[in-house]
Amino acid sequence: MKLGEVLDVLMAAAAQVADADAVAVLLLEGERLTVAARRGLPNDWPVPVGESPADREALMGQAVTVGEAERPDVPFPPGFSSLLCVPLSLPTRPLGVLRAYRRKPPPFSAADAECLLALASLGAAAVQSARETAELERIEAAKSRFIHVATHELRSPIAVAQSLVRGIVKGYAGPLTDQQQDLFSRVSARLDFLEHLVNDLLDLAASRAPELAEEECAVAVNASVGRAALLLMPRAEEKGVSLLFRPCCEELAVIATEEGLDRIFVNLIENGIKYTPPGGTVTVTMGQKEGEVWVKIADTGIGIPPEAMPHLFEEFYRAPNARAINAVGTGLGLTIVKELVERYRGRIEVESEVGKGTTFTVTFPAVGPPTCGLS
Amino acid sequence: MPHKILIVEDDPDMVTALRMPLEANGYEVYVAASGQEGLQKVKEINPDLIILDVMMETTTAGFQVSLQLRSPDPRSEYAPYRHIPILILTAIHTTTSLRFGPDEAYLPVDDFVDKPIDPEVLLSKVRALIEKSKAQ
Repeated sequence: MKLGEVLDVLMAAAAQVADADAVAVLLLEGERLTVAARRGLPNDWPVPVGESPADREALMGQAVTVGEAERPDVPFPPGFSSLLCVPLSLPTRPLGVLRAYRRKPPPFSAADAECLLALASLGAAAVQSARETAELERIEAAKSRFIHVATHELRSPIAVAQSLVRGIVKGYAGPLTDQQQDLFSRVSARLDFLEHLVNDLLDLAASRAPELAEEECAVAVNASVGRAALLLMPRAEEKGVSLLFRPCCEELAVIATEEGLDRIFVNLIENGIKYTPPGGTVTVTMGQKEGEVWVKIADTGIGIPPEAMPHLFEEFYRAPNARAINAVGTGLGLTIVKELVERYRGRIEVESEVGKGTTFTVTFPAVGPPTCGLS
Repeated sequence: MPHKILIVEDDPDMVTALRMPLEANGYEVYVAASGQEGLQKVKEINPDLIILDVMMETTTAGFQVSLQLRSPDPRSEYAPYRHIPILILTAIHTTTSLRFGPDEAYLPVDDFVDKPIDPEVLLSKVRALIEKSKAQ
């Protein structure tokens, strides 16, 4: 519930339990009380704050009852005859005060005070919870805004620069000398890397902010692997690597988001292609065993040295032989994959031999027929 | 007669990147820096193809332009331009672009090009769209 709604409910309940004609909630902002909500008070009466000793006494933790004219130092709205002021306090600190007013006698009793005190302690907890929720929402909104800004403000200039450089490299801005061609190609490769890095960072940020992801549903694994293979087929062909995909006969599904599951397979197949020399093969197979769905991505590539294995999923880590072949990589791909796999309650295993190849196996709990990804 | 292409894009550098390969291939290029200006220029120029950035001054400007141009209402002031092919520029992630494509209700366009622009991809899509629309 939002703070405003909490205060409305609190005032309505206070009016009822204390049989009051008017209620005001004053909350501390730093040292000062400010009026957070009011009901039943004359509109033209500015609730006086900071000058009522009743508030100060209530903030010390007591209920204070005052009849009109009993204490000239306590201001009264015109037409009201008694005031009951109770603290709105957490066990650790005061949040403010709750004032109840009656127009006519009888004045507030000790029993009224007790009831209102009990209500106010519940109210204080609700106020605090609403404030914490609002703060969390503010942080979430800031995070989403940051990701949005990063997406647009960071990726957009890279994309523009890359588009310009590609035009130059292709000779659309006039003929280039061999040296210019070489230099612009290097600029282009660096921009490619930067684009990749920004995309990976955004993916990582998104994978750590589940509220930014779509809702999870039963995603068809066949279709997801198929989309990833289709996307990467041109890259495999260009490099002279065979990409083989053996879809499974059954309709396997796992609880995930389509985008997240696609991302897992795209990253793993992309890695396979990247670290497999021309003439090699990347094979994707899948199946079901003991209530689990497994997908294997096996390549005949350069392999992972044993000393690199423990660091494989660390952010920005790249195995020395991966760096050595100069393949573009940010060292974030496998971190993203692992975080997504674990988010979808799965696990990832890797077997590898240097010079022979690497096999990644991802396993998820199997669920019934797909409920999304059917389009 | 060279084919006329209207680029609706608010980033002048991106306009340059698009203009280079298009002009080198004999297209006549016109530019609008906002959705509003784009709609205006469609009426003035009656281009053979529109290249439209989805995200301009506001995130919905590109969508609004395509929706206006493709309005099914025969009384729409843009009804005479309904047939002009629209190629949109997107900066969507590779994986998501698998599901991101022309959609009559949501984004009525003919094809899309991912940023950063690959001049060869751009040219082949431009050629294909113009040929297809002239054949109809």
